[in-house]
Amino acid sequence: MSTVAVEVVYRGIFQRTLARNIVRSIVFAARKEGKIGTAFGRYGDSPERNGIPAKQFAVVADDAEELEEVLARYEPTEVDVTINVDDTMCKGIESWAWYGLQPINQLTKPNGTLIVTSRQDADSLVEDIHQKDTPFDLSIIKSTVSFSGLWVYKDDHTDARILGTLCNVCPQLFSIDSMLQALDEQGNGETKLASAQKAYDVATIRTVEPGEGNSEVPYKFELLGWQTMEEGLVIRAQGKGGGFRGGDEGFQPDRNEVFKKYSTRSMRPVINFETCIKCTLCWLQCPDTCFDITPDGLYDANMESCCGCGVCEAVCPVPDCVTMVSEADFNDNSSQWEAWQEDKPSYQQWMTALVDKQKAETRTHGFHHVGGYTEEIAASEDA
Amino acid sequence: MTTVQDLPQIKGVKNIPISEGYTSGHRTCQGCESALVMRLMIKAAGQRTIVVGSTGCMYVANTTYYSTPWVVPWMHTQLGSSGSAATGTAAGLASMMRKGKMHKEPINVIAFCGDGGGADMGLAAISAALQHDEYNLLILMYDNESYANTDIQASGSTPYGANTTFSPPGKETRIMNKRWKKNTAPMLAVGHPDVKFVATANGSYGLDFNNKIRRALTIGGPTFIHSIDPCPKGWDYDPKFSHELGMLIVETGLWVQYEIIEGELTLNGPSRAIARGIRKRKPVEEYLMRQGRFAHFTKEDIKIFQDRVDESWEKWWLPGVIPVTMGQD
Repeated sequence: MSTVAVEVVYRGIFQRTLARNIVRSIVFAARKEGKIGTAFGRYGDSPERNGIPAKQFAVVADDAEELEEVLARYEPTEVDVTINVDDTMCKGIESWAWYGLQPINQLTKPNGTLIVTSRQDADSLVEDIHQKDTPFDLSIIKSTVSFSGLWVYKDDHTDARILGTLCNVCPQLFSIDSMLQALDEQGNGETKLASAQKAYDVATIRTVEPGEGNSEVPYKFELLGWQTMEEGLVIRAQGKGGGFRGGDEGFQPDRNEVFKKYSTRSMRPVINFETCIKCTLCWLQCPDTCFDITPDGLYDANMESCCGCGVCEAVCPVPDCVTMVSEADFNDNSSQWEAWQEDKPSYQQWMTALVDKQKAETRTHGFHHVGGYTEEIAASEDA
Repeated sequence: MTTVQDLPQIKGVKNIPISEGYTSGHRTCQGCESALVMRLMIKAAGQRTIVVGSTGCMYVANTTYYSTPWVVPWMHTQLGSSGSAATGTAAGLASMMRKGKMHKEPINVIAFCGDGGGADMGLAAISAALQHDEYNLLILMYDNESYANTDIQASGSTPYGANTTFSPPGKETRIMNKRWKKNTAPMLAVGHPDVKFVATANGSYGLDFNNKIRRALTIGGPTFIHSIDPCPKGWDYDPKFSHELGMLIVETGLWVQYEIIEGELTLNGPSRAIARGIRKRKPVEEYLMRQGRFAHFTKEDIKIFQDRVDESWEKWWLPGVIPVTMGQD
């Protein structure tokens, strides 16, 4: 039996075109070698939302019968290669389709490969990725994570680099020549083919041993089934909320117990409480009700609710008071205000370092203006 | 007519209520302005409110399996029936109270619908609701200019030339959606002379938004608010610009902020300053070129757009509101 399944885990809408380009090209390349394949998005992820993790699959088989055997299932139960196009999802993903966190490598077969686009090194990624009982290979494509939108695609060759790497780490799929031919036939220029070839040439793997990596048990929630639901299909409302951290002062809304936005974020705000002028704008304009009001009238971004949109940063009138930084720099969801209360000088130091780092490696979240992507690609090539 | 709640106008952004009626647990997009609109709506209305929502993003994304972000009672209704559901809820409450089955107290009834559910499918039901002037209710139409939930199909509210699943720009024909945006709020105001409050609103102007909701809920009878909600998914922009685009659409004069209180029109905020000549309209290009859905526009397309906006301010009988010009006599 030689069926090969590949999954692409991506940020909804932002990386939808990227994921589609990858799974389609896999099928086209397989056809060059007389194989048969199919590419599809997971039904449960539709309708996609900006930033919420989603999946697309490509399945390649020697003949139609083998392919049908795999497709008789709703989606592949295990894959030879997992492609993760945003490294912040290495911490695990929570999609539309389920409640609770799933490890990024959940479907990766024993000795399968996880391909990640990232500027981080292997060790810091392995720290985030959940442990498995079986070994798997990690292959990193050193590049800025590629984000665009629904209509305009940022063609920074991330798709070609991933496909080139895929040919190297999963040679049973097809040869690089078939892939280059398929890319050429889809109307990709020579520079893009060169990107694929180069990625193929330089691809490396690092084996992750059983027991290596993040030891945390992914959280999950039990919800009522159809036989145990309340009469009239009533769903309990959220509570009214109350004082900050259960106290008498400030305010903290009640938050949904079964859906946390941890994995929806690829960035999160850090707040300089010392320059905050308490203008209320971040709190008022947050679509996710994310800001708790502290007893001293400041606004503490609660990471249970934050989906990392960056509106707070955009509306804040004070320079560098709210700054969106990469989610990859965090290992927990603790309160920044509490950390600041505990030790103000070291909080300021920690925050300033993060803000400076963000300025050095700007991570963007989609379309800014016509021609913006060309500027971004030129800037990242210079870097 | 039943009594209304005491919801005074809010003076100053610092006096906006801190209580929340819509919290976390929704799987909307990053930077979803419609989620903000839901939150602001219930902030202004308070906890003694029943919300009825027709199908759309604010139904689907807010009701993943057995979970809800709502603090107040909420119920789903079908796509085109926000008007009938609002009337039915208000009538039901009135009847229960009359029969003594419920404690007598004013309860706000708000029905929301998207532009697909309101401006397209539910228009007749909304019109019917606005004629039942014995019931106090508010219909809020959150307009993200497409059927955004099902992946951006064009609606009657989609602007000229925008890229949608139904109107993808091609090599031969660049502009596929040739319709101008439906002018929903004035249509309902003009068509229902007994309605005491019709307004346009915008989540980027939070205080104004809160006060319009309160005015609608306290003036008595059925009321209608049309809110414009930038949509990072369908308009294709970095989610952090939701607030900024909400302001730009007003500053370019493409969207006009106003309220019609008992037949009297008042322009609000930047729209008022533009009408009085205190503030110049920004070129509409600044707004268009920030969104991927207009990325295919050429200079000529932008000019067509700008000319239409200019015309609405310079020639319309009520600038930006009613597309009628005075005849010769």
